[in-house]
Amino acid sequence: MDKTHKVDKAIELIARISIDRASQSFSKIIKSGAKIELESIFYSDVTALTEEAISLKDEEVIGAFVNLAGDAPFRFLFYVPVPASFLLADLILKNEPGTTKELDEYAKSAVQELGNILASSISNTFAKDFDIKLKVTPPVLVTDLASILLQEYIINAASGKDRVLVIKSAFKVIKFGLETQMYIVPTAESERILSYLENFL
Amino acid sequence: MPKRILIVDDAAIIRMKLRKVLTENGYTVAGECANGLQAVEKYKELRPDLVTLDIVMPEMDGLETLEQILLIDEAAKVIMITALDQRDSLMTSIRLGATDYIIKPFEDERVVSTVQKALESKG
Amino acid sequence: MSDSSAGKRLIVGIGDLKAGKSPDEIVTTLGSCIGIILYSAKPKVGGLLHIMMGYSSQSSKDGNFKKTKYADTGIAELLSVLKQEYGANPGDLAAKVFGGANVLQGITADIGAVNYSAARQVLESYKIPIVVTKVGGHKGYRISFKLETGEVLCQRLGEEARVY
Repeated sequence: MDKTHKVDKAIELIARISIDRASQSFSKIIKSGAKIELESIFYSDVTALTEEAISLKDEEVIGAFVNLAGDAPFRFLFYVPVPASFLLADLILKNEPGTTKELDEYAKSAVQELGNILASSISNTFAKDFDIKLKVTPPVLVTDLASILLQEYIINAASGKDRVLVIKSAFKVIKFGLETQMYIVPTAESERILSYLENFL
Repeated sequence: MPKRILIVDDAAIIRMKLRKVLTENGYTVAGECANGLQAVEKYKELRPDLVTLDIVMPEMDGLETLEQILLIDEAAKVIMITALDQRDSLMTSIRLGATDYIIKPFEDERVVSTVQKALESKG
Repeated sequence: MSDSSAGKRLIVGIGDLKAGKSPDEIVTTLGSCIGIILYSAKPKVGGLLHIMMGYSSQSSKDGNFKKTKYADTGIAELLSVLKQEYGANPGDLAAKVFGGANVLQGITADIGAVNYSAARQVLESYKIPIVVTKVGGHKGYRISFKLETGEVLCQRLGEEARVY
């Protein structure tokens, strides 16, 4: 994988602040030692990125796709193994963990609403701290293998380009050992805008 | 007579959370809707004392729904409950006639105090 | 699945192709993309092309683009690799086509259907018979192509795994 660390400082700073705010929102709704940590920011060839995902143990996940539309469009994705969505529903509703036992409307809605809240946190940070206006669209839920979700997400974000900037975060609920991924990918148009911001930071 | 509240949010889990906190604090949930189109029809039918209204929803977003509800009843009390903590959206909703707003994720106490304040306010 | 020999296990990401010979195995997963497998029974060689889009004319006109992303240029590349590296002619080959699912309903148009149509037309233009077509739906495909037999194990959520 083409992991270059020569990512513009502007992009890195925006990513760190956004993830930090998203983590605060996540912690507020889930509690139980919930946090999101920035794992890596890198440019990757779309083939290499998806090849790696296909080669890993590929489980059934439920994911929320959100478009952040506006001055610097982004695509947001987070997904969890299907059983983890049951836990998320119980934590949000303050039910005893283990109450939700199937992918019912509340488990699906838990992932949907977390997608909404986290993507909105990122959008709010862009608007308040960097004056980049972004609005979120209603999350779209998809259940499939993790590599399939990631492929479709990357294809949608890359818009025909061979390389994407990936902001990858670890999404954790420590008390229950849940750990999964969250991705934010700027569209090609946004990369230029974010690089331009470096002049002002 | 308990005050009647219409809950509007496309996320079933948020509707459930709001239902729990409102009923535990003495309010009646008159109805629930998953989008703005349903909300406008339900408002006409139920004439609740207050509406809680999400902004980001499919079919018709919360701001447009707010406008439609206020056309039906200019004295309608509507609290926007949204994850979008951005000045322009919030100011727009207040300017359009929303009574107040709550940012998600919310604490239950904040919902109760905001609803109580809205119901006690004139208009 | 048994893996009794020293064959390679090749993974194909989006917009790429891999070719090999018996007893290699070539694996990919497909959402809206189309996986085009070309196989020759004699010799036992073949390849898998994972395309993202239909025709390269949709892309830049300067020729500087990744050819394996598209059905037309990608199939031409795969045929070239199979001929030059493995000695297989188009007349020796049969095709199996998978994928083209509409996974992101509500976000994107049905790109999978467009991709499949392009793949089919290009294969027909080379007179390569399509012996298996397993495309469409709303769930992705995990496929494993065994060069020893030419068989493809196809797995999808909600369906029994099947050999094609």
